[in-house]
Amino acid sequence: MTEGQILLESFLQALAAGLLIGAIYGLMCVGLAMIFGIMRVINFAQGDFMMLGMYVAFFIFTGFGIQGVFGSYVGPYVAIFLMVPFLFAFGYAIHRLLITRVTGIRTVGMEGEGHYAQLVLTLGIALVLQNGGQILFGSQLVSIRTPLSSVAWELGPFWGDFVSVFLNKGRGIAAIFSVAVILGLWLLISRTRLGRSLRAAADNPEASTYVGIDVDRAYRTAFAIGTSITALAGGLLATNYPFHPFVGLEYVIVMYAGVVLGGIGSTIGAFWGGMAIGLVQQLSTLVIPMQLQNATIFVFFLLIVVLRPQGFFGRISERT
Amino acid sequence: MLKVESLSAGYSAVPVLNELSISVEAGEFVSIVGPNGAGKTTLFKTISGVVPAMSGRILWDGEDLLACPPWQRAHLGLAHVPEGRQVFPSLSVIENLELGAYPETGRREWERNIERIYAWMPVLKERRNQLAGTLSGGEQQMVAVGRGLASSPKLLMLDEPSMGLAPTIADFIFEKLMEIRKQSGLTILLVEQRVAEALQFADRGYVLETGRVVLEGTTKTLMSDDRVRQAYLGM
Amino acid sequence: MAYLKSLRPIFAFVAIYFGIALFIENQYYQLMITLVLVWAIFGLSWNMLSGYTGLISFGHAAFFGIGAYTTALGQIHFGLSPWVLLPIATAFGALAGLLVGIPTFRLRGHYFALSMLAYPLAMLYVFEWLGYQEVTLPLVRDHPALYMQFSDHRIYTLLALAMLVVVVMITRWVERTRFGISLISIKQNEAAAEAAGINTLAWKLKAIAVSGAIAGAAGAFYAVVLLVVTPVSVFGMLVSAQALTVAMFGGVGTVWGPIIGAAFLIPVGEILHAEFGTFIPGIQGVIYGLAIIIIIIVAPEGVFWKARDILANRRAARARREAADPAAMPCPEKSEPSPFPAAEADAAEEAVAEHTVSDEIVLDVRGVSKSFGGLKAVDNVSFEVRKGMILGIIGPNGAGKTTLFNLLNGFLKPDEGDVVVNGRSLVGRKPHVLAAAGVGRTFQVMRPFARMSVEENVRVGAFVRARNGEHADALAREAVEKAGLSEIAGRRASELTTKELRLMELARALAGQPQLLLLDETLAGLGHGEVGDVVAVVRRLVREGMTIVIIEHTMQAMVRLVDRFVVLDHGAVLTTGSPEEVTKDPKVIEAYLGKKWMAHAES
Repeated sequence: MTEGQILLESFLQALAAGLLIGAIYGLMCVGLAMIFGIMRVINFAQGDFMMLGMYVAFFIFTGFGIQGVFGSYVGPYVAIFLMVPFLFAFGYAIHRLLITRVTGIRTVGMEGEGHYAQLVLTLGIALVLQNGGQILFGSQLVSIRTPLSSVAWELGPFWGDFVSVFLNKGRGIAAIFSVAVILGLWLLISRTRLGRSLRAAADNPEASTYVGIDVDRAYRTAFAIGTSITALAGGLLATNYPFHPFVGLEYVIVMYAGVVLGGIGSTIGAFWGGMAIGLVQQLSTLVIPMQLQNATIFVFFLLIVVLRPQGFFGRISERT
Repeated sequence: MLKVESLSAGYSAVPVLNELSISVEAGEFVSIVGPNGAGKTTLFKTISGVVPAMSGRILWDGEDLLACPPWQRAHLGLAHVPEGRQVFPSLSVIENLELGAYPETGRREWERNIERIYAWMPVLKERRNQLAGTLSGGEQQMVAVGRGLASSPKLLMLDEPSMGLAPTIADFIFEKLMEIRKQSGLTILLVEQRVAEALQFADRGYVLETGRVVLEGTTKTLMSDDRVRQAYLGM
Repeated sequence: MAYLKSLRPIFAFVAIYFGIALFIENQYYQLMITLVLVWAIFGLSWNMLSGYTGLISFGHAAFFGIGAYTTALGQIHFGLSPWVLLPIATAFGALAGLLVGIPTFRLRGHYFALSMLAYPLAMLYVFEWLGYQEVTLPLVRDHPALYMQFSDHRIYTLLALAMLVVVVMITRWVERTRFGISLISIKQNEAAAEAAGINTLAWKLKAIAVSGAIAGAAGAFYAVVLLVVTPVSVFGMLVSAQALTVAMFGGVGTVWGPIIGAAFLIPVGEILHAEFGTFIPGIQGVIYGLAIIIIIIVAPEGVFWKARDILANRRAARARREAADPAAMPCPEKSEPSPFPAAEADAAEEAVAEHTVSDEIVLDVRGVSKSFGGLKAVDNVSFEVRKGMILGIIGPNGAGKTTLFNLLNGFLKPDEGDVVVNGRSLVGRKPHVLAAAGVGRTFQVMRPFARMSVEENVRVGAFVRARNGEHADALAREAVEKAGLSEIAGRRASELTTKELRLMELARALAGQPQLLLLDETLAGLGHGEVGDVVAVVRRLVREGMTIVIIEHTMQAMVRLVDRFVVLDHGAVLTTGSPEEVTKDPKVIEAYLGKKWMAHAES
């Protein structure tokens, strides 16, 4: 094997890994885009909603006989999808009880139109979830690993039997699920009455009221969908990576980077944004030390916001 | 059909509307005119529920409208076409119209309504897949009016449909409205700055100034009253 | 003098705090009482940037961490004493502030907040990668005091108190000078601040440098007190959150906010951790989080402001009760609008004659045009304004009036035409050049500082001319008097009526001592009686030599106020002339009442 072939192989391997993890990041970002993009609410606790989803899926998997009924191959995915309604309800309740107090009409006249309040409120929620998680779940690492995560498909070999790319089956299936969910969500948003009312509420809340849309409820629904989508992404991530109560912190920036990159207000753009983040993260490992992987994401994020704050897929420019 | 009784409303402690009363009967075309800042838009927003009422009543077919949440009022047959061409900019024209048909009645009569809307304003049919935010001012105004019509409303409330439009386009919009009214017999409540146009076709009119009705009556009486002119020009 | 007086409460606080600290024997509580001060200083650093400019920073841990690591690594690698390293860390903090500010100030709102988050987190990973997972400051056996190491912990408390006093003094000084005025006006309305001649980027950079310096010093001291530095403990998200939380909990935009926040939150968290930490790990975080949630719901702008509001409301209520005595109470100014004010007109007419218009041309507008896209918003507009006159610019909605004003004061650059002020062509110059040349303006949308008094609000406008704080005070007082607001100069803006707010806005423009005042819809939304009051103020200004251009939709009050009208319609001048001429002009009648009006009126 020549040096060039080694280089090519590691490049292709990083590319494949980036695409797979990027699909999950993309799903995560779409969840945040529903909240940040539609309602312009900075939700600091989005990563912790994801963490909660991971634990709920974990307990459904281990505690409700799912593992026994569906086995360890299918079981994790069943548990992850069963978790979604719980997180939907959780998001709905959080919005109803807390978020609604610092958004919309009540924020008129508040400092920074309530942004201060939103930031700090969600920071408080994040602290409660992280530390409450530590109390309830302990701080040791757990996972919903499937046996698939330790086997891989081999693509290739190409170029004279030397270069081949391995796709981890667990991550591959997670990526496929991510893309499928995105497609479903896209259909929901673009084709249904509900989706149309959500987009209308995001576009022009006042006119939405005039056509008979309950804007408060639309926002609440968007918040709940966003929460459960990100949680779903977390669950899929947990089939490959172990997690702990503070896992949310690691992904909050990934999510915001993806949403900004995709263009605020564009739900589908957020998916491509997350994909780009996954690729940058994996490809950067070719030239930058592993430990700096996350630092790379942050620097990349800074470059995006400073150079192209409207994102790459932004359709609606940020309203001032 | 609509009865506003000594209504006071506003954004802060200082009311914009002062004990204002108006009424609209089914089938009528009523115009509300008055200089800028008289409270015309605030009146509409209070009827729609976006601005809270401080005192007074709004009756809709004898029922208390203030008891309904704002979003529900569209479902009762009230269609508010707001001032300043408020469309849904990042949605297509057809999606804007579909949103107009959000209430039950609009959905039931969608086929018939869309046909009529396209017949009245063919340009909307041509542009149906274009994003509403990319249309010209006049076309956006037509989208807003079409959206109002798509709900099969009992009462169409139009807030300054001519605002910010070039005179010829404003005239065109007015002519369209008259045509629609003649064909559909729709009940219309219109707010306008341009008195002559607003009163020309109306059955009755109100002159508003600093949040109260200073003059009301048939179009004829209003147009021959010197005080209208005075309200606008100050002398 | 006023400056020193404003520091009195803080000296009292320091004395009491140290008095308490003296009696604490327990080492753990001694540490805690010092840490309260460290986090208060850090909160003040955050407040310096975010509290005054309104740009929320999530990344203050970057500066804090740099300060902490500078001290730790400086002592380990170079054997330097923290006495030397503390100033170095402060300088590094300031430098880091500038380096972060230069790219990041291109952003606003959400974007700014989020990007700030990325800096400390990136540094966290970099320091981990560099192998500084846990850095311990070496203990010095000989001359420990030279290395800021004391066996008596109360000395640390004393040092922290000294730092706090310095930081409070800096903050107070900033608040009182043009530095603070600039930052506050940026928070209020960045465009308007720029228009008033404020170089907003320069002031924001100064703010972040000072803020970074304070945070660097706080971080350095933190390292000295705890002797151990880890990336998570100084760069972690919770560190940034701490700055923001203590400030927001206590109150944003005041020196007391971070102090109150730290004094309450830090002990609560630490005590909970000490009591329950071993068997319920994380209880501290949960309670902390709940406290934040509750405070945001109950007092979203912080304890300090809530308490002040409650006190102010109680005082106002008491005043109302006392005023309820009918003899003492003047009739509330309820506008009793008669539809067509006849009585007012008489008084008005004699007033018009009082001022004289000279021949001297103050403002000469020649053929100004501006297009947006294909639309001509302002189309070849010309007129001249003579010294001492009131010119009214009127026209229906969308006639281009505000665009014209924006062209006159430099917000927009005309495509064609010339704007001559006192014989000098100033077309296309920046707003602050026009402001300096004596062109003042008010804005249609009023954004007062709700909690500041009338006089404090007006003081912001004195910026253009004021040489120092006292001069600004003097100009503000004068302007308040001219606007007829002297009696309510101390009242909070949130308690004002629309009319009083309009007059305050007028006073703010006056504080910049303009020669020519552009008034943007000063009469809009006022009742009849109120219009009369504002008109009286405008007339008085003109009698005293001011020249005024006023925009308005409605002609009602204007016909008895102005000397001359310029009527705009669809961006172009429809006609000009005296009120009598203009109101009889068929073209004007058509523009206002519709083109079919004449036909109907005649029939």
